[in-house]
Amino acid sequence: MTLEEEAMGTIKIFTKAKCPKCPAVQKIGNELKKEGITVFNYDLDTIDGLAEASFYSILSTPSLIIEDEHEREIIGWRGMVPSLHEVKQFLFKNHW
Amino acid sequence: MSTVIEMKGERKVFKEEIETTDMALFVRTSDESMHDWNRQRIVDALLRETYIDPGTANEIAREVEELITTSKIKMITAPLIRELVDTKLIERGLEEARRMHTRLGMPLYDVDQLILHPNKENANVPHGPEATNLTLAERIKKEYALLSVFSQEVADAHMRGDIHLHDLGFVDRPYCSGQSLEYIKRYGLSLPNSIAMAKPAKHPEVLLAHMVKFAAALQSHFAGAIGWDSVNLFFAPYLVGMSDRDLEQLAQMMIFEFSQQAVARGGQAIFTDLNLYWEIPKHFEDVPAIGPGGEFTGKTYSHYIKESQRFAWALFDVYLGGDGSGRPFFFPKPLVHITEKFFHTPGHMDFLHHICEVASEKGNTYFVFDRGETAKISECCRLSFKLDQTDLEDAREPWKMRYCALQNVTLNLPRIAYLAKGDDTKLFSKITEFMEMAVKAHLEKKHFIEKLLSLGEKGPLSLLAMDRDGSPYLRMHRASFLIGMVGLNELVQIHTGQEMHQSKQAFKFGLKVIAHMKLLVEKLSQRYGMHFVLEQTPAESTAYRFAKLDLKFHSPQSGHIVKGDISRGEVYYTNSTYLNNSAVLSPIERVRQEGLFHPLIEAGALTHIWLGEARPSKQSLANFVIKTFQLTQNDQIAFSPEFTSCNLCHRTFRGLRSSCAYCGSMDVDGITRITGYFTKLSSWNKGKIGELRNRYRNQAFLKEKEGMVMLEA
Repeated sequence: MTLEEEAMGTIKIFTKAKCPKCPAVQKIGNELKKEGITVFNYDLDTIDGLAEASFYSILSTPSLIIEDEHEREIIGWRGMVPSLHEVKQFLFKNHW
Repeated sequence: MSTVIEMKGERKVFKEEIETTDMALFVRTSDESMHDWNRQRIVDALLRETYIDPGTANEIAREVEELITTSKIKMITAPLIRELVDTKLIERGLEEARRMHTRLGMPLYDVDQLILHPNKENANVPHGPEATNLTLAERIKKEYALLSVFSQEVADAHMRGDIHLHDLGFVDRPYCSGQSLEYIKRYGLSLPNSIAMAKPAKHPEVLLAHMVKFAAALQSHFAGAIGWDSVNLFFAPYLVGMSDRDLEQLAQMMIFEFSQQAVARGGQAIFTDLNLYWEIPKHFEDVPAIGPGGEFTGKTYSHYIKESQRFAWALFDVYLGGDGSGRPFFFPKPLVHITEKFFHTPGHMDFLHHICEVASEKGNTYFVFDRGETAKISECCRLSFKLDQTDLEDAREPWKMRYCALQNVTLNLPRIAYLAKGDDTKLFSKITEFMEMAVKAHLEKKHFIEKLLSLGEKGPLSLLAMDRDGSPYLRMHRASFLIGMVGLNELVQIHTGQEMHQSKQAFKFGLKVIAHMKLLVEKLSQRYGMHFVLEQTPAESTAYRFAKLDLKFHSPQSGHIVKGDISRGEVYYTNSTYLNNSAVLSPIERVRQEGLFHPLIEAGALTHIWLGEARPSKQSLANFVIKTFQLTQNDQIAFSPEFTSCNLCHRTFRGLRSSCAYCGSMDVDGITRITGYFTKLSSWNKGKIGELRNRYRNQAFLKEKEGMVMLEA
């Protein structure tokens, strides 16, 4: 399996400045970016970040969602930190 | 005091004599006595009311006297004299003195109209002498507020329709309040200025009497809603061993007492919210219960779940029956809190079906969703307070749990979009500007109320200053200051070219606007040390007022934007953050989409599901409620059926008709929910009538199945 070939959709990461667990999710985002996945970061202390979080019913940080090419949510972790492995599992699920 | 001055005899003679006798002019006062003309009264008034010097005051008085004597006026009124004095002040450029010397009042024609025709600004004000008194007093206080309480900048913003200062006619009171029965259970009914003090109630009927009287007293100290927390639970210790028949009677008494309070302030029923729980709310589980005589029973509230549930059930039995002619009760409004614990409490499905039957048959039930650890107290059309850690500590002593919102200021969002002309930067900076104006209005109102409260139990707000438990009844440090919005949908439409239900992009832009407002209220709260919160303004008349003003100031563009029928004058903006009322959207999708705004609106939000004539099954509504709780972020929903009630044969039937289905009489009243309460259509303003015509009643999502109507979820 190569990530570039089979990656589905994009990742959206929601964080806040004063959030102890947020750096862990940002780290996952950075890892995925390195592997060529599109990752969007949203800060809930900004207008755009809070609006986007509201659209996905995200009330706590950190949160991470995977969505398909039509911006439909495939899965999300709200207020928790998933493992990189878990995220990858869902990101490429359709091709397994 | 109104005065009339009569001119006696020849004017010529009068002019000659005036300096010596001053007897030719008489002042007729409202205490039915006659006073002589005395120029010095003008001087005294000017010196008392303004800052001008005695020389100028004397000069003005002489000039006015000269004007009167040389005129051909047969009768002079005191307001006219005052106006003449005011023109002299203006001639001298003394504009501030003129403002201070203003006389508040109403033209004869307006009073005549008011006495003859009903008030349509608030559908909860009936027509009658008491209501006229209320409206007259409100008019004067409104003028007073705009001249004296608020700065000119704020008053002008209100007059222009940039913002709306709610309940200006009640400027000398806070906006709305939420309280606990525990206060009167513990302290009895001991009100300042009351001629009799009642000790804590020993019987449930007496507790109810205290509750109703206290609510009436609170109504005269707050502009709007009076909410009561956990009513069924706090009554429970009084209900031990009560028979079903007696309990039913008590439930009937409670609902009829609150619905028939149309003999109170201005003939208005008290806008009462009853917060009800099927479970024992977590924060009250271990709280010592107060029982008859204000004594602790030695048990905690967890022990009273049976009585609490029986009472809640009995209240909904009464709602189901409706009033004497089968109409839904307009007040008190029952708000059932749906929580995680609700679904773990035995009997919850039976209760859910019961309250859903009421929702379908009569529409009364409000479903309030407290997800996760959130606990809320609701007190207005949709206003609710989420209890924070301090509140939860107060819950150990529930009589302390009393809250208020001091004022509500609403922003005209479409106006901002007209002014921004499609420029994002301008739009967001205008929103900030309008919000800062709202905050300025709040600071001014707070300052004014604090001045009144500082007079303590001898002052005009004695009830709110009364101290029975170590702090005043109104806990100012816990007060909220509401910032509402009208017409987000139209703002988005003007700015992006699409309404919010028309594209994801437009919808997201709406979220961005509210996110901006949310972050801003947080910043402003920090800056001023006050609790500013966003609220979905019910905007019963504001949505109409803003639309009318924008038709005037932002035409022709506004003509394409306002909703309703311009030719009939039935124009409005979509309320708060709602999607267009006429948009064909499945009800659960509307609940989901509108619910995405709700976490940003801290002071509470609501989605309406208009049912029209349909009577969906209780099972389908229960399913809808569960899905709303589990799959959306929506804070509160209400199902609204429509009725026609005949004034001749006193029967009520489903749907809005121009004549009675039973006797054919044309003397009928349409009844449905206007904003956050039911009322008769005849009292609605034109804007709301326009909205009613447009409401999408979910016809395509109400399907008949196995002999029942099902609402799709």
